[in-house]
Amino acid sequence: MKLRNSGLSLMFFAPAGLFMMIFLLYPMLLLVRDSFYRIDILDPMSKEFVGLANYIEALSSNRFLQSAFNTVIYIVTAVGIEFILGLILALLLSTAFRGSQFIRTLLLSPLMIAPLVSGLIWKFMLNDQFGIINWVLYKLRIISDPHQIMWLSDPSLALISTIIADVWLTTPFMMLVLLAGIQGIPKTMYESAQIDGASKWQTFKYVTFPSLIPVATVALLIRIIDAARTFDIVWVLTQGGPGFSSEVLSTYMYKVLTRYGQAGEASAMAVIFIIILLTISSFFIVKVMSPNQNKA
Amino acid sequence: MAKIKVIKPEYPFMMGYQPWKFKKNIWKLFVISLTCFLALLFLGPYIYLILTALKPSSEAVSTPPSLWPSTFSLESFRGMIDYLPIGKFFFNSLIAAGVSMVLSLLLGSLGAYGLSRFSSSLGNVFLLFTLTIRMVPMISIAIPMYMIINHMGLIDTKLALILVYTSINVPFAIWLMIGFFDSIPREFDEAARVDGCSRVGAFFRIILPVSLPGLATTAIFTFMLAWNDFLFALLITSSESKTATVGISEFLTAYSLDMGPMTAAAISFSLPVMIFSFIVQKYIVSGMTLGAVKE
Repeated sequence: MKLRNSGLSLMFFAPAGLFMMIFLLYPMLLLVRDSFYRIDILDPMSKEFVGLANYIEALSSNRFLQSAFNTVIYIVTAVGIEFILGLILALLLSTAFRGSQFIRTLLLSPLMIAPLVSGLIWKFMLNDQFGIINWVLYKLRIISDPHQIMWLSDPSLALISTIIADVWLTTPFMMLVLLAGIQGIPKTMYESAQIDGASKWQTFKYVTFPSLIPVATVALLIRIIDAARTFDIVWVLTQGGPGFSSEVLSTYMYKVLTRYGQAGEASAMAVIFIIILLTISSFFIVKVMSPNQNKA
Repeated sequence: MAKIKVIKPEYPFMMGYQPWKFKKNIWKLFVISLTCFLALLFLGPYIYLILTALKPSSEAVSTPPSLWPSTFSLESFRGMIDYLPIGKFFFNSLIAAGVSMVLSLLLGSLGAYGLSRFSSSLGNVFLLFTLTIRMVPMISIAIPMYMIINHMGLIDTKLALILVYTSINVPFAIWLMIGFFDSIPREFDEAARVDGCSRVGAFFRIILPVSLPGLATTAIFTFMLAWNDFLFALLITSSESKTATVGISEFLTAYSLDMGPMTAAAISFSLPVMIFSFIVQKYIVSGMTLGAVKE
């Protein structure tokens, strides 16, 4: 094929490229520049070059470190539970009993629900006055008083509540990707395991699970990145409170920008955040890029 | 594209297991009931939300909470309309999401076609950039965007929303569309060229119509990103161009005890999406498994 021509490529790509230069690349450069200045949003004239002061301030501030720590807890717990639940559901559905197709369709319908709506649903259900979760626990005799668990106003539970909302929202995605992965495993591998007389557990351990690892890695990394960026759910459920008990990086940066008006410091944090996420995901990029490189 | 195949009634996960029929049935029963239990656990909250929205307003916050409405009522929906100009918010969301979808489809498919057809090394550089952008946390984009929009005096305008959503969606649209274009044989382009089409003509007349399924998937995802967005809308809009998500979240602060209208608004916002994604699930699945599952 003699269609290779970077001039033509550029012509088709130019509109999108130009748009991304102005509205993505330029803002990113602006972000890096702003991170070296002290900027008060309310007083735009107050711009002052401060070098690395914003970075030092961010990295030595307890609230930033606490938010970073909370973010890590959030990622590990939420993605961990999602993965286990998603894997169980995918394995169950892959047995293809009558009606499994229907259940799969049902389970996939929340895929497009806004994180905001998930936050609202759980804000309502976890309410310590009229929330149904506490009442169910009460009826099951797990707790003695229906107002006992203060899901959203107890500092030790607030982060857990946001994780519950996240797990509910994104487990279907995990299930979908893992199920697609399971169905992509060649039948012959199961047949040979059968001939070798493998038990169900052995089949899972030596056939299903190892074949799933590439798919699972990508799914996990997609979810880790998404969980790291979480904002809506936390904002709706707790706004990072009570205190800073459920503060994650996104909500903290949002507050630094809008409540305290410190655009410079917020920018410095945003740069740190980007560097961390890009480091984590460089692995992911290498993995996802490879099929395309083969094609091109 | 990776597609979920229609599952044949075999037992891939359980293969290699040939016990007595009785034991097999017990296992099957266990699998089915566990699946149903988990499915109920995941659908329950949403069903509960629907049921609550259909209760009379006072019953929505009653103690003890009830599962089934004593009488079905649209009171909460009426309350929702009375409290806030929710219609306007929905209209703003629709405009912002719709226009940014069209723009990102246009820019994205042109760009993806260029990268897919005429370049490999250049394509990979841009693809790397595109992927990097997808990894950047939203809040990090939001901060400088807010400064720019503030500087341009575009705060609280639909134009600002459209620009922001388009800029986030273009890399994503390119990423999705490259996959679809790569699957269309180049003979299509050549046939169109032989028949006297220009490069651009070949793209619009031949390639684009052939890649309609890809366009549909991309359209759904770009639209949904804007429709579901909360962070940017919260940051950029304050009154005139407030979107539905920001509007709904305000039921919590302004009328914190009146959960009825809030549930009604959440349903009005998400049920159309649920039903729609039910219908177009094929496209959503192909978009979501892209990158994770190879063909």
